[in-house]
Amino acid sequence: MPPVLRPWVFPLLLLLLLEAAARWLVPGSDAIAPPSQALLAFGRALTASGDESVLQATRFTLISASLGLGLGAALGLVLGLLLGLSRRAASAAFLSIEVLRPVPSVALIPLAMLVFGFGYRMEFSVVAFATFWPLLILTQAAVRQVEPQLLEVARALGLSPWQRATQIMLPAMLPRLFIALRLGVSIALVVAVTVEIAANPGGMGYAMMIAQQSLAPDLMLAWLFWIGVVGYAINAATLRLQRSIARRMGEPAAEASP
Amino acid sequence: MSEAPLLRFDSVGIHLGGREILSPTSFEVARGEFVCIIGPSGCGKTTLLRMAAGFLRPGCGVTLRHGKPVVGPSREVAFVFQDYGRALLPWRTVAGNISLALEAAGIAAAQRSERIARVLATVGLSEHATTFPAQLSGGMQQRVQIARCLAQEPELIMMDEPFGALDAMTREGLQDEISRLVRSTGLTVLFVTHDLEEAIYLSDRVIALRANPSAEKPSLAAMVEVKIPRPRDQLLTKEQPEFLRLRRELYRFLGHP
Amino acid sequence: MRAARTASSGRARAAIESLLVAAALLALWWFASHQQWLSKVFLPTPEATLESLLQGLVRGELSGFTLATLQRMLLGWLLASAIGVGLGALIGASSTARIWIAPTLEFLRPLPASALLPLAISLLGLSNGMVLAVVAFGAMWPVLLATVHGLVAVHVGLRQVATALQLSRSAFVFKIGLPNALPDILAGMRLSMTVSLIVAVVGEMIASQPGLGQAILLAARSFRASELFAGIVLLGGMGFLSNALLSVLEAAFLKWQRP
Repeated sequence: MPPVLRPWVFPLLLLLLLEAAARWLVPGSDAIAPPSQALLAFGRALTASGDESVLQATRFTLISASLGLGLGAALGLVLGLLLGLSRRAASAAFLSIEVLRPVPSVALIPLAMLVFGFGYRMEFSVVAFATFWPLLILTQAAVRQVEPQLLEVARALGLSPWQRATQIMLPAMLPRLFIALRLGVSIALVVAVTVEIAANPGGMGYAMMIAQQSLAPDLMLAWLFWIGVVGYAINAATLRLQRSIARRMGEPAAEASP
Repeated sequence: MSEAPLLRFDSVGIHLGGREILSPTSFEVARGEFVCIIGPSGCGKTTLLRMAAGFLRPGCGVTLRHGKPVVGPSREVAFVFQDYGRALLPWRTVAGNISLALEAAGIAAAQRSERIARVLATVGLSEHATTFPAQLSGGMQQRVQIARCLAQEPELIMMDEPFGALDAMTREGLQDEISRLVRSTGLTVLFVTHDLEEAIYLSDRVIALRANPSAEKPSLAAMVEVKIPRPRDQLLTKEQPEFLRLRRELYRFLGHP
Repeated sequence: MRAARTASSGRARAAIESLLVAAALLALWWFASHQQWLSKVFLPTPEATLESLLQGLVRGELSGFTLATLQRMLLGWLLASAIGVGLGALIGASSTARIWIAPTLEFLRPLPASALLPLAISLLGLSNGMVLAVVAFGAMWPVLLATVHGLVAVHVGLRQVATALQLSRSAFVFKIGLPNALPDILAGMRLSMTVSLIVAVVGEMIASQPGLGQAILLAARSFRASELFAGIVLLGGMGFLSNALLSVLEAAFLKWQRP
């Protein structure tokens, strides 16, 4: 078996098992559907419009996730830079951060719902909260981990603070910042879908909930699979971006398991 | 006419981590001199160099350059780090790395390329202007660092065990290259090494430091002139009786029992 | 002597500054809520939150909810860790298993655990057991993946030692593989704890199971902001304590990393 086909064998076996079980063990079940039917249901949803539309729902989730990530990452980056550069600021902020950080983002879903009602704002605010913390911490670490010798080189050459920031610190930090961004992307997607499952009537998570509630197991399975595919594709793309940045900045491609 | 010393250490000493690393030490370096500092680990030779370069403030005493106290790094003083891998920007090409020194000095973009080309030719790396440091060997990376220091057009170069991480052959090649460079430019060099033969081979004067100084045995253990004529040769010079005599005299200062 | 004194006074100063910043934020909250920068419906005062918190705990309902969520989270996490390590050890120890199965695991990694709730509801109905099942299943993956990774990452030198000593497969796993994977496994368990809390809360919200998740959702729907905030404080506290617990565990098990 050529190695390129090997990754597909196991999932294919599982799908075949599921197909057989759904057709012959529990036919007509409200919970399980054969993958073949799920595929058909997905095809229908692709061409549908309105609430059922794959495109609409996917777009809703992705937009909410991106807006949330944009906000959370921007704030996290700025604060992370400040705390990374000033040890005093970092130690002063320590208590507040340690108290606020452990709040699970899902705990804020009812609050966001209360303040914003349903829609984009509610979702991206929760995503922003969830992505803010890891980006803050990782940016702070990235500043600290700039090779100290490079900073000495900057001193020895007499670089101005602006030159030091733009020519030494920022490029040195870039690979780690992209690792942080990659983590942020995966968190943003997960949180967005979770918000939709819990409360928000929009996006892929909601579409899947509706399918389950209307006893359409084939559509539900299709959505579950689609969510997985979208998540995988976006994460893979971000990984490639992160690796190409690492290469470009002269670092051995950092292989990070999240 | 005696010229004022370029560099003067006036009772310079320092405590670090609760220990006296360097007891008050005084000596001078004249313009165009090549001075090597040797000693066992912990004798403070690197610390002395860093104080001279302005990275560190002495605990007592003062370092004077042209009669003025050294308060911080200056473009007139170039520093070559031992760990060349971490002293070069991995995301810039060789030319880009050298350009950094010129950008720091505020040289306009138009004039930079000419100076970069000149300095690359001096160290023999003209063909590698667009290569990245990661693609170069250790010796070449160190040459890039030296080139960057030359681009600063300093009057004084400090070198902290610059060839310590290189293999013997590369080291010898770079030793000769640095000797040649210094002779043609008239640069003053302060060179730290733990390699006794390297110290004698390169320098006009060798300063030996002691570790764990005390009142009876201060940091400055010996200061010896190396009156071997230049240019020197890796094979022939090291067989000369004067070389061997100096070697014997200084051997004990490296911490051998 | 002087150096030591300056160090401890520096630490004291840092601690005081930290408290001051936190107090300043608290003051900001107090001011904002009293000045009604945001309506009292959204932003309760700190005192009202504290009152709701204490009343709820003393009267019993909040403490009941907290215990329910805590129980779900911890039980799910324990199950997840046990199964995750077990399965992970099986997969990680066998290179055949790894080659065929690992890519599928990579595909499942970015899937949100909460996405399994609809399927679980269909299969198991709206029950406590359903939520627990999803918590355990969802929280299993970080531990499983970490275990596989830790086993795979055994240094080739150690493998050679194992071959030279002719260790059996299971001996290799228990004496070399798993200890080597321990830092990764503990990191996975930490992540897994976060997932359990999240899935427990979301599960309570959509399956109407008594717990903090349901409590804060109902509080929001009835516009009872102080109760909502009290619930959020409790959930934050749970997050904090579970993290602290895991840090202690990590420190205990990984003493050899810091001699």
